Parts: sequence; structure tokens; C-alpha cells
Amino acid sequence: MTDREMLLKKIGTCKFAVTDIDLFLDTHPGDTEMLRKRDEYLAQLRPLVEKFEEKYGPLTKDENAANSWSWVKDPWPWDMEG
Amino acid sequence: MFVYEKQLQYPVKIKNPNPALAKIIASQYGGPDGELGASTRYLSQRFAMPMPELKATLTDIGTEELNHLEMVGAIIYQLTKGVSPEEIKKAGLDAYFVDHTTGIYPASAAGVPFNAMAIASKGDAITDLHESMAAEQKARTTYDNILRFCDDPDVIDPIRFLRAREVVHYQRFGENLRLLTDQLDSKNFYAFNPSYDKNCFKKRKDR
Repeated sequence: MTDREMLLKKIGTCKFAVTDIDLFLDTHPGDTEMLRKRDEYLAQLRPLVEKFEEKYGPLTKDENAANSWSWVKDPWPWDMEG
Repeated sequence: MFVYEKQLQYPVKIKNPNPALAKIIASQYGGPDGELGASTRYLSQRFAMPMPELKATLTDIGTEELNHLEMVGAIIYQLTKGVSPEEIKKAGLDAYFVDHTTGIYPASAAGVPFNAMAIASKGDAITDLHESMAAEQKARTTYDNILRFCDDPDVIDPIRFLRAREVVHYQRFGENLRLLTDQLDSKNFYAFNPSYDKNCFKKRKDR
């Protein structure tokens, strides 16, 4: 596994934890313990996304530090390298 | 509003193309119990939901299904990448190929194009939640059937992920149904449409 794949996998794992907690909270909106867990995963996620985008390009259109529109660059998620 | 993130919900990295497998997995893209139907069903049903928890669940699961549609598309794309016409013919994918080459098109494994008749949006919260719960189980059965034909761990891994999500979604829709019936007159849950007949809810003072 390349460094890029490893980092993306960590990001995906944190994002997935948040997604799964979101669904739980939709039917248990008063669960404070789960709300706290969600914040924990978000806190883990932020520095990973920052590191990834700095090295490998944007995951969302919000992040486009370069002089050109780096959003268009390969790979896209369905590519083997994506 | 929807915002795109340049990442699959779960990685798809298939080293060995396999057009025969692509042919059957394509059913979860645009077949009767596929991810296109799933996302369209939930994102349409949510408008008629009478409680905020139900609107939230259908919005969030409907959105997750869009991720799954993208994952299934990526699986088919990688399974058919660089495959020769001879291999296409041997795998029985020639009938698909003649119309779509190796492009991704929503149709069932038997070649029937996606049809909105495979989904329902009745404007009745109880009817629609039962439809959604059944849909999750139908998709789970289809993934189980796909797994019966898979021997490549690169394919099995993301398909197992997708299968597991069907089970979680079924659980959440079941909770939705319970949250709803808790608010209804317990003498007769199923004789009214809670999205339309507002007097079937318990009187405010009983809640």
C-alpha cells in the first residue's frame, strides 16, 4: 500500500465512523455519549485531511491552494490509483 | 444540497478484470434492488415523512446510497477495464457491450434498463418505511447471491462492506417505524396514513 493509499484509508475510516454515528443519532438524537464520540472522530479526521490535501490534492473543492484548478487532476475515486 | 468528496466510501482496488462478474454485479447498479433505486427511493420518500427523525434518516441513508452507487460503478469499471472483445464474448457480456461498450449503464443483470417501477413512494410514512425495510433486505439477498459467484478477494471485500450496510440501514428504518408508531393511537396503527391523516397521532397531552 502506498503512502497515499494508507492516508486515504485512515481518512475513509474516520469518515465512515462519523457517517455510521450520524445514522445512529438520527434515531437517538439525545445520546450525548455518541455525540462526544462523533466529535472525537472529527478531531482525528481534520489533521489527516489537511495532511492529505497538502501532499496529494483536494478531496473537496474548498481546498485549492495551487495556482491552477487542481480539482481536475487524476486520479479520480474509481481509478485504481484513486 | 449535495457536495462531492473525491473519495469512495470504501476502497475499490481490483487487480484482475473479470467481465463475467461485472455482468452480475451490474444489477446492484441499475437492477430492481440496486443502489440507484435505493438512493432515489429514500431521497424521494423523505418529503412526506411526518417526523424530523424520519426525514433525517431517509436523507442520510439516501445520501449514503449515492456513495454505494459510485462504489458499484467503480467495481464494474475496474472489472471491465482493458478487456478484449474475445474475453467480452466469452463472458457473455457481448450483448451489453454492443450498446454501451464498457461504459456504465443502469440495468439489471438480465439487461433490463433501470425502471422506477422497482421503487415506491406512496406518501404514507408507514407504507414507505415498510417498503424501505423490504428494500434493504432485498439488496442484502442480492449481495449474498453475488458473493456466491465471487472468488476474488479484491471483489469480495467491498461487496461484503456493501452487504453489511444493508443490515445497518434495516435496523435504522426499523427504529424509524417504532418512533412513528410510538406517536400514533395504539388502538389502530395501520388504518391511517400518518403523513396525511394528522388526527391518527396521539393527542398532544398523551405524548
